[in-house]
Amino acid sequence: MADLKRLPDELQLATAQHVRYIQSLDTRKDEYDYWLTEHLRLNGLYWGLTALHLLRHPNALPREETINFVLSCQHESGGFGAAPGHDAHMLYTVSAVQILALVDAFDELEKRGTGKLKVAQFMAGLQDREKGTFAGDEWGEEDTRFLYGALNALSLLDMLHLVDVDKAVNHVVACANFDGGYGVNPGDESHSGQIFTCVAALTIAKRQDLIDKDRLAGWLSERQLPNGGLNGRPEKKEDVCYSWWVLSSLSMIGRTHWIDREKLIDFILRSQDTVDGGISDRPGNMVDVWHTLFGLTGLSLLGYPGLDEIDPVYCLPKSTVERVLGKSM
Amino acid sequence: MDNHGIARVARTARTEEQRQQDLDKIQKYKQLDDAIRDKTSRHAYDDPTLFPLTSKLLRLNPEYYTIWNVRRRCLTSGLLSRPSAGSWPSTASPSTSPSATTNPSSAVSSSSSSAAIPPNPASLTTGKSGTTADVESAVDSTDADSEILRSELAFTVPLLLEFPKCYWIWKYRKWILEQAILRLPRPLASNVWEGELALVYKMLVKDRRNFHAWGYRRYLVARLESADLLGRSLVEDEFAYTTKMIRGDLSNFSAWHNRSRLMFRLLDERGADDEARAAFLDTELNLVQEALNVGPEDQSLWYYHRYLISQVIGSKGMPTITPNLTDGRKISYLEQECEFIRDLLQDFPDIKWPYEALLEYALALRKLRPGIKGEEQEDDPNFWLGKLRKLDAMQTGRWNDVERDIERQLADSII
Ligand SMILES: [Zn+2]
Repeated sequence: MADLKRLPDELQLATAQHVRYIQSLDTRKDEYDYWLTEHLRLNGLYWGLTALHLLRHPNALPREETINFVLSCQHESGGFGAAPGHDAHMLYTVSAVQILALVDAFDELEKRGTGKLKVAQFMAGLQDREKGTFAGDEWGEEDTRFLYGALNALSLLDMLHLVDVDKAVNHVVACANFDGGYGVNPGDESHSGQIFTCVAALTIAKRQDLIDKDRLAGWLSERQLPNGGLNGRPEKKEDVCYSWWVLSSLSMIGRTHWIDREKLIDFILRSQDTVDGGISDRPGNMVDVWHTLFGLTGLSLLGYPGLDEIDPVYCLPKSTVERVLGKSM
Repeated sequence: MDNHGIARVARTARTEEQRQQDLDKIQKYKQLDDAIRDKTSRHAYDDPTLFPLTSKLLRLNPEYYTIWNVRRRCLTSGLLSRPSAGSWPSTASPSTSPSATTNPSSAVSSSSSSAAIPPNPASLTTGKSGTTADVESAVDSTDADSEILRSELAFTVPLLLEFPKCYWIWKYRKWILEQAILRLPRPLASNVWEGELALVYKMLVKDRRNFHAWGYRRYLVARLESADLLGRSLVEDEFAYTTKMIRGDLSNFSAWHNRSRLMFRLLDERGADDEARAAFLDTELNLVQEALNVGPEDQSLWYYHRYLISQVIGSKGMPTITPNLTDGRKISYLEQECEFIRDLLQDFPDIKWPYEALLEYALALRKLRPGIKGEEQEDDPNFWLGKLRKLDAMQTGRWNDVERDIERQLADSII
């Protein structure tokens, strides 16, 4: 990374500010927006905590409170809601499992929660055993996001045997398009976010052989725009969060070198708020914890110094994934 | 928490007065939320005051998914009639195991709380239309259901227009539509569903690339085609719709995409033979050529062109629209399209997309004519690769890999 030395000071990673920004998120109860975003609380905790781990400040949020909050979102069904009193849903259940993996607290599920078997059964129960698809909750609607989430969390819990992985794989394959990408459902156009979920799901299922890698990587690397940022679909604007969806997909299929890393690093760093911390969707916009995480994961995949390595499949630090999967295997 | 496209302002910009206004808003919001939680914690979904409270809260915050669920439970706990046992389609729900997926804290006392899941059949026989043969009350309940479902659809329209990317609103709307199938006579339900196409039309005029709206349209069409509703194919209408969208705006990638996905069924249903299929391919190639002459810098058009050529060449295991082309015919298609693109380069030498296509097609021609090494430089993939390296240095790593692959391919063909 010798070339990075020529970057001006304002284009360095503002680590201390980002840590402070994430720590401040739960202190904003006098802001209306804090309440309007309660449906994202558990995701937000996962995003913030993962960002802190990448920034090498894993203890910047208190562990005990973190575990207490996660468990306070759990229902008797084993599923988790976004916050206490919110209904259980796949998305939050996955976040809960990821947070507990981060802080090495699966045993707390047994001691104080419903136990990990029930969590796994909640997710497994959302699979359509004929089609292989997954719904988000009891009210239906299928999306490859939920399929990926289930495979991610179930494999972390070592409970993948509860679902029909082959059927899930068949469904992912049915979502593929001629351009090598994947859509929300069969027939839908390719979208970087959905590509990430499908490629990661196939990776967890050990079926990368089903991916048309060169064609997909070609489509993904076309997502980089002259300003260095990546977009999610053809003819759309650049956005920091696609640093993750696009780059993690490229990383899983071994093609991160197909884009211009210096230019992307520059774009992400320019999207930082170097005074108050946080990263926004593009330079000059409002920061949020979502773009903060995905800016950092992007930098991590690009090998930016001072950041821990992110796992492109699980979106958790590599060290966490190695610890958890090593333990369960 | 997920800001897109909002300009950054200094965080200290809030005055004391603004802070006070925020606190007032928070207090009102929390009062509303508490009032709802108070009732739901007692499972009082049939409390007539609960439903209007959900309307109020959802207008403030349509992302609050739990409140949409409360609203569903209100509807299935008395506001809507109970569907007759026979009308539960076996595929009503993707959730196969209610015990594993139902949130017990909310399902305990409301047996019908999970309407999307076929509940215990015994509980259904108590439903209005299930046992009594009272035709009048059945008609009344149909009218009432129809009115409620239509009013639910109307409720979400302004929210969708304001929050077109909110997953939960789209999801609720789909659920309401499924209720129409369960509770209304087929012609009436079909009528409700057909009305939805007009809404999608409106949404796609507003944002022609909204993938929620495109996905919703495909969902509507698939359900309308099923035996539950119209029971006939809409593929010709949908194909015509993409033509219309493309005529209005050539660079609508989503419309081109949908077109590419519809043509398999279109040709099958037309009973197209090989000649009809080739004629169809010619028409499509002409259409995209026409468009490329106008907008050669448009990625959407190039993807569609490459899609059509992928249909000519065929790829392993994938069905194509023209499955019986001879190699000779494939070669002449490729040569014809390469010539068209090279003509385009005369006027537009600095756009990278035509070079990508030429590289891909030159490689395909090599595979189709093993042993024949073209005399002209335009038959040499490396010639086009060199142009791409100049025009798009950001993808240098990719071009290096492509060059390695070309050499490998060449070595293989010599052996
Ligand atoms: Zn974004």
